[in-house]
Amino acid sequence: MIKISRREFGALASAALLFRTQRAVAGEPGVFVFGQDLPANLDPHQIQDLGMTQYALNTYDNLYRYEDNPPKMRPWLATDHTVSADGLIWEFKLREGVKFHDGSEVTGADVVYSFQRLLALGRAPAAPWLSVLKPDSVTAPDRYLVRITLGQRYGPFFGMMPSVFIVNPRIVEAHKDDNDWGARWLASNEAGSGAYRLNPATYVPRERADVEKFDGHFYGWSDNAQPINRIEWRPTKVTSTRVLALLNGTIDMTDSFLPVDQVERIEKSANAHVAKNVTMRLLVIRMNNTKPPFDNINARKCFAHSFNYTGFIDEIVKGNAQRNPAPLPNNIWGYPKDVKGYEFDLAKAKEYFDKAVAEGAPMRRPVEMHVQQPLEQTTQAGQLFQSDLATIGINLKLVNDTFANMTSASVKAESTPQMWIHWISTYYVDPDNWIGQMYDSRFHGTWKASCWYSNPQVDDLLRKARFTSEQEDRAPLYEQAARLVVADSPDIWIYNMIEVCGVANRVQGFRHCPVGSGGEVRWMRLSA
Amino acid sequence: MLRFILRRTLYAAPSLLGLLIFTFLLIRVVPADPAAALAGDNATPQQIADIRHQYGFDRPIAEQLLIYFGQILRLNFGESQYTQRPVGLDIRQRLPATLELTFAALLIATVLGIPLGVLAGIYHNRWPDFLLRLLSISGVAIAAFWFAIMLQLLFAMELDWLPLRGRSSVGMLAPPEITGSLILDSLFAGRFDACWDALRHLVLPAVTLSLGAFATITRFTRAGVLETMQKDFVLYERAVGYPHRRLVWIYVLRNSVIAAVTQIGLLFGALIAGAVVVEAIFDWPGIGNYAVLAILSADYKVMLAVTLLIGVVYTVVNILTDFVHGLLDPRLWEQL
Repeated sequence: MIKISRREFGALASAALLFRTQRAVAGEPGVFVFGQDLPANLDPHQIQDLGMTQYALNTYDNLYRYEDNPPKMRPWLATDHTVSADGLIWEFKLREGVKFHDGSEVTGADVVYSFQRLLALGRAPAAPWLSVLKPDSVTAPDRYLVRITLGQRYGPFFGMMPSVFIVNPRIVEAHKDDNDWGARWLASNEAGSGAYRLNPATYVPRERADVEKFDGHFYGWSDNAQPINRIEWRPTKVTSTRVLALLNGTIDMTDSFLPVDQVERIEKSANAHVAKNVTMRLLVIRMNNTKPPFDNINARKCFAHSFNYTGFIDEIVKGNAQRNPAPLPNNIWGYPKDVKGYEFDLAKAKEYFDKAVAEGAPMRRPVEMHVQQPLEQTTQAGQLFQSDLATIGINLKLVNDTFANMTSASVKAESTPQMWIHWISTYYVDPDNWIGQMYDSRFHGTWKASCWYSNPQVDDLLRKARFTSEQEDRAPLYEQAARLVVADSPDIWIYNMIEVCGVANRVQGFRHCPVGSGGEVRWMRLSA
Repeated sequence: MLRFILRRTLYAAPSLLGLLIFTFLLIRVVPADPAAALAGDNATPQQIADIRHQYGFDRPIAEQLLIYFGQILRLNFGESQYTQRPVGLDIRQRLPATLELTFAALLIATVLGIPLGVLAGIYHNRWPDFLLRLLSISGVAIAAFWFAIMLQLLFAMELDWLPLRGRSSVGMLAPPEITGSLILDSLFAGRFDACWDALRHLVLPAVTLSLGAFATITRFTRAGVLETMQKDFVLYERAVGYPHRRLVWIYVLRNSVIAAVTQIGLLFGALIAGAVVVEAIFDWPGIGNYAVLAILSADYKVMLAVTLLIGVVYTVVNILTDFVHGLLDPRLWEQL
């Protein structure tokens, strides 16, 4: 038997108490801890992903920005805008007296510089602009006016405005290196006018970054009696750790890709809740239409009828998604309400299987589907699909892959996998973000168009919609194009996601918007 | 001794060169196109081509390898495509965290593994031996990620004794950086609160990482002790009535730990590689995490640099291990 003296017992008890009383500071007043990923670097003109959108919405300003759900365009640095009758000249009137974090005023020249920098760097955020704007397309006729002249009408133009964040040229130019537009410097620093400003000393790429409240922000803070003073980004890499951290108060908000078991765990917790919001994020299984058997329409329809949509949404995703049978979100204008899409029906699938075999499609050859690591839901979808396809004699093999690999592979039809699965998020709220870039053949070679679908009639409709100004004129074009695309069955459209994000109970004022997934912290406050 | 170290260093150079070439080719053979990954969502083929040209990805592989080799000779690991910072700087920022974690894990494994291995050897086929064998087999068999989650659930969530994740608490000011080790730097700065905080954050990841190493060291020490106990000199010492405790902890131990020391050397490299999983689970900001993010985004210069770094660390530790071998048994100087 172990004998412990009173003195030893006292020492052990004190040690245990010491551990307990020294618990990590959780839920510190005024400090919001973000468990979300940081962008790969901090330059809003180099990176475009959810991490960057969330970071930039807090540290930079844009002329207009999306707020709320469904997203509405709200004047931000601009007070309003006018557009010429031919839709080619757009003028944005700027708010006066807006200050950058260094105290200098935001002017039209700074907006011009930001557009020029974006185009010159030519990275991801520039992609949708490159075919529309030239460096001299953006001018500043006076200090508070910005004029953008388009070569032709461009439907998504206004919807894309929030993707351009305005940087302070005086700061950026002072740090440029070898004509790099300050890209190296801004990757680890900040030159914005947003509601929060970065403390660069705290920044470790992809590991941590702290931003402090900017008292001089143009919007003021009168709408929020208890604003958050500091945001600390502390990305958590593993889902289970992220959820545990939320439950014990170490972080205040998770990502919005939580698996169902973790959602249930948060829902049972007393410290946090799950914010569920309909969004605009489609889950799609891609089929490479240039590779057998997917160069055969009956083979594609066979696969489309073999996916158990309801089973996946009800049982695996536990209802946190809406069936979305067409190539654009069901909550955006331009969506064809009459399209039913393909239902799960193995008898019909078998009919199409036989037709495809009769036409010479190699249906009995193993088919590879690439699933994304570490996103578990893509594997679950693959496994469900695999089991149902097996019942009609199709051998589906799952290949673990990364998003980076798959986007790289989709540069050429030959290197694009036979099948792969991914989400398409909201980069700008316009049908062009989905159907426009997925099925117009001019985008072949990009990951969004990785099914390599080609239909001249669809191309015409999508281009006409893209180069038309008015929404009411564009909507029928997208509806018609969507009907044609669905009839050709180039891909398998599964659902429109309901975002499930873990939020600490002390966080109040969480405002969800599909652009940025509710990561704009200036609206939030922390209860005691 | 100096000749020995020089000889071992010269032997290591071709291995490292081979590692560099092999890794370079392996990464370039993988279908990931770093330019496409870098261009990001919505990128046009022309943008991807421009970036490929800008970074020299369109040059012949042999030319790229030569350029990279030249950079490495100048200790220039290039620039991360994503962070836009020198890879050397990013690694320097993260390596101390990984070394701190690895040394702590090795320390725990050694301090516990050697004495327990000796105990298991002495109490051969008795309950302490059975218990320690069970522990060591479990240590090898249990997956690190499962063990880590169990530790988190028990010590961070249930008992609330230790932090769940990270390297320091929210709001804890970091000490001025001298070595990069939070524990040492806090001590140098006289910041005992920060030191205590850093130590508490280190416990769970270090224990998780040490599990496999502990099991290996225990097993090798036990085997060494069992073998040594059969030696003639032990029989003789026992026969003449030499004190048992002294015999075991001085003479038997010294003759038994050579295999365990070899393992410690090998384990160090394995621990650095194994830190990838532990760092991810505990959000430990080390090079393991850095490497995983680089792989996911096809940031190939980072992948190359991290692989090379692990190779160098592994080589250096192996040379040190051979050196310690020589100290324990001077006859080995000539053989090594």
